[in-house]
Amino acid sequence: MSALDLSLRGQAAAIAAGEADAAELLDAALARIEERNPAINAVVATFPERSRAMLAEAPDGPLRGVPVVIKDEWPLPWRAQRFGAAELLAKTAPGESGPYRALRDAGAVIVGVGNMHELGSGSTGNVSVYGAARNPWDTERCPGGSSSGPAAATAAGLVAGAVGADGLGSVRFPAAYCGLTGLKPTFGRSAMAGHHMEAVTTLIVSGPLCADAADCRLLGSTLIGEELAAGDASGLRIGVVRDTVSEDVTPEVGEACGAAIEALRAETGGEIREIELADLDAATLAAILIINGESLGGVSPERLNDLDPDISPINRGFLKYRMLLPAAAIAQAARVRTLMRRRLAALFEEVDVIAWPTIPAVAPPLEAPLVELPSGTQTADQANVRGAALANLTGIPAISVPVGLGSESLPIALQLQGAWGADALLLDAAEALERANGRRWVDARSPLAQTEPAGA
Amino acid sequence: MEAADRAEQFIPVGLASLRIEADEVDLAVMNAAHQMFWPAIRALLSLDLGDLEPERDPDLSRAPQ
Repeated sequence: MSALDLSLRGQAAAIAAGEADAAELLDAALARIEERNPAINAVVATFPERSRAMLAEAPDGPLRGVPVVIKDEWPLPWRAQRFGAAELLAKTAPGESGPYRALRDAGAVIVGVGNMHELGSGSTGNVSVYGAARNPWDTERCPGGSSSGPAAATAAGLVAGAVGADGLGSVRFPAAYCGLTGLKPTFGRSAMAGHHMEAVTTLIVSGPLCADAADCRLLGSTLIGEELAAGDASGLRIGVVRDTVSEDVTPEVGEACGAAIEALRAETGGEIREIELADLDAATLAAILIINGESLGGVSPERLNDLDPDISPINRGFLKYRMLLPAAAIAQAARVRTLMRRRLAALFEEVDVIAWPTIPAVAPPLEAPLVELPSGTQTADQANVRGAALANLTGIPAISVPVGLGSESLPIALQLQGAWGADALLLDAAEALERANGRRWVDARSPLAQTEPAGA
Repeated sequence: MEAADRAEQFIPVGLASLRIEADEVDLAVMNAAHQMFWPAIRALLSLDLGDLEPERDPDLSRAPQ
């Protein structure tokens, strides 16, 4: 087995113990990208000499010599971000972003830039200036977005971990579609410097995408700058909501997530409590309005009249539509945020985590990203966002954990949301769920990740 | 008020007031977005949150005070 097929922590440990050569590992990652990436379009830029320079200068940190991919959302010293788009409505330039510095200081080696849904505006990953990214479980399916490339790269075994960003579920959706574990940290904890919305966003965070919770703990600790120490999820109080987010899902998603919640309860010796969480639809819309309002700063009508022709038609139209959003609605969205934060603060006195499906259906086809739900046919974006936006609106952390494979051998995932600062508890709970499932779903590998190397 | 709900009036009037140009494709996308969001925006605006005490200087990394 190649060292590249070890876990993120396994690679770090092997290098530290002298059992793996970091230079060989980097070459293996570059070769793996060359071999497998054409099928999934996950990595949109490599820079071998820059990567080798990072390795040569890597400090003796917890990720020394470990190759990782970073989303096209932050600048690198040698490359400005493109945000998956022909042009950004914000000024960008190469530079040392927060995630770059965090990775560099941990000794990690950035081996490539990950594709993303254009302008971060979709949950599917099928729209990008680089072309659609594809799901390693089925290359005709969406990998999820907007962190499509980081997820697909990790699920295809190009790297063992990647950095994404989550403004309305953009780490959790691709983690769910690609069978990975994805952590959306508490707002403000993880490195964000250099993001073109850093000064105005109140929703977006950086977060890790890895095979399992232990790797997310390692990469998440790097992004946060402090150890997310392993603890104990014993006696976990699991809140479940009987609402659209948990009930308007496909039968296979409902069954897998229901079984996972019960398995988590049994593994932790905890309890399941039904809770009320009203106005979730309003919370979802509030998050959408706030993030669109925040990204309007500095955008003039003249600028919108001179958009690059290679911006996708859907984003051209939506960029203009959002200029018409009423200020009263954005102000009301801020009040809904206050309302939901207070409700959650009260709920987290009663439960430790709130659990519901990350996605209501498995990854849809790239050509037609629609999902068939009990309520009818919907776009994947419409259906997905209602389960994710609450965490971004209120600032709480959330994690997506693989809990099964559907009838088409596509991943199903459960989301756990915790109180502010409970990032480590979510990882503890995710590890308990892995134990309960015998690590069956976190150890499952996509067909592309099982590809034999050429000449083998 | 009913007239303002209709995409065919709201969108052209809004664009014209801001001097934003739009072609047929832009308008089709905007109409679809409007049909999706506008009923929800009206529902949001109808929520009675007048008595809700604002959270001053909210720190989103922490529970509200």
